[in-house]
Amino acid sequence: MRKSDVEALIERYLSDFRRALLKVPATEREDMLQEIRCHIVERVEAYGEVTEPLLNQILDSVGDPKQLASQYKTSAMLRRAVKSRSPWVLLSTTFSWATTGVAGIVALIIAVIGYGAATASSLCFLLKPFFPSRVGLWLSPQHTLTLGYWNGKLIDTEIYGFAFRPPFNFVVLGTLPSTNGPVREMLGLWIYPVCFLGALLLLVATTSFTRWFIRKFGPRRSLSLNTGDKTQCLQSTATSLR
Amino acid sequence: MTKTENESADRWEAQIRKGCLELAILAGLWENRLYGLEILRVLEGDSNLGLAEGTLYLILNRLKAEGLVDSEWVDAGSGHPRKYYVLTEVGKERLLEMTHFWNRFSANLNVLTGRVVGQKELTNAQK
Repeated sequence: MRKSDVEALIERYLSDFRRALLKVPATEREDMLQEIRCHIVERVEAYGEVTEPLLNQILDSVGDPKQLASQYKTSAMLRRAVKSRSPWVLLSTTFSWATTGVAGIVALIIAVIGYGAATASSLCFLLKPFFPSRVGLWLSPQHTLTLGYWNGKLIDTEIYGFAFRPPFNFVVLGTLPSTNGPVREMLGLWIYPVCFLGALLLLVATTSFTRWFIRKFGPRRSLSLNTGDKTQCLQSTATSLR
Repeated sequence: MTKTENESADRWEAQIRKGCLELAILAGLWENRLYGLEILRVLEGDSNLGLAEGTLYLILNRLKAEGLVDSEWVDAGSGHPRKYYVLTEVGKERLLEMTHFWNRFSANLNVLTGRVVGQKELTNAQK
């Protein structure tokens, strides 16, 4: 293979990588690409003369650029998210984390429910003065509690907001089915302090919990330091077997 | 062994390898500063960790973000510069802690597995 062909193939591999890393800050990205380039070039030089299949094999053993880039992005995002208090950062991070496994999916569900409820609460607080008879905490005959906006109808009743029916039925934005019938408003003017404090509490609690969850279950170090208990346990098992 | 048993054994081995990578990389840097390809050679030579080469750079990047290693580009006259990695003080402490844990852990596990091997040899001898 001619040297220029080898370089062209390497550059094509790297440009795939670059395209997948577009959202990463430029200096960080170019540093990473430069390092990978050096790695490939040195591998190639070690062979002296390379054929196309051999070069492809070298590129394969480095890894699929899209896959590597997505691992890199998720790991960088999680690192940033642990330090962040922005709901937007935490939500978008858990969203891409959710594509990689169960822990990510759980984190996303927690974040969506928590921030969804916080959004519903703050919207109620802000909209109550403008729609006093429509915004509230509504109790329907099926024991569904919905914090949000009621369409005013007793048939085809719909209440948009955060709906909860004990024990486990949640809808973050929207309405649970079969809420037909007289709905009752539960809070009156108490809605102001309840929604204000509720939104604040939900925001803080969801943020802290999501951060804790990422720290605990994010792609972490191999041997964590607080595994002393397990060693103790294994030690005593070993002793008792002896 | 059936196919599924084989798969679960493979998965278990992969998990162990994955879990030990960070320790292996930090331990590789204990005496010398190394660049990516050298670290890979150390890992391949001393332990069979079965690593996709690109993954190494992802891990090094994370270790750097966590302050366990530091890196610098060095042009050592080889025609192209190389990015060398070195353990930081925090990284050294961390490696020592990990090593102590690993030694205790593997010693205890060896006691358990030692009995298994002993039993197996006994049954083979009885046959």
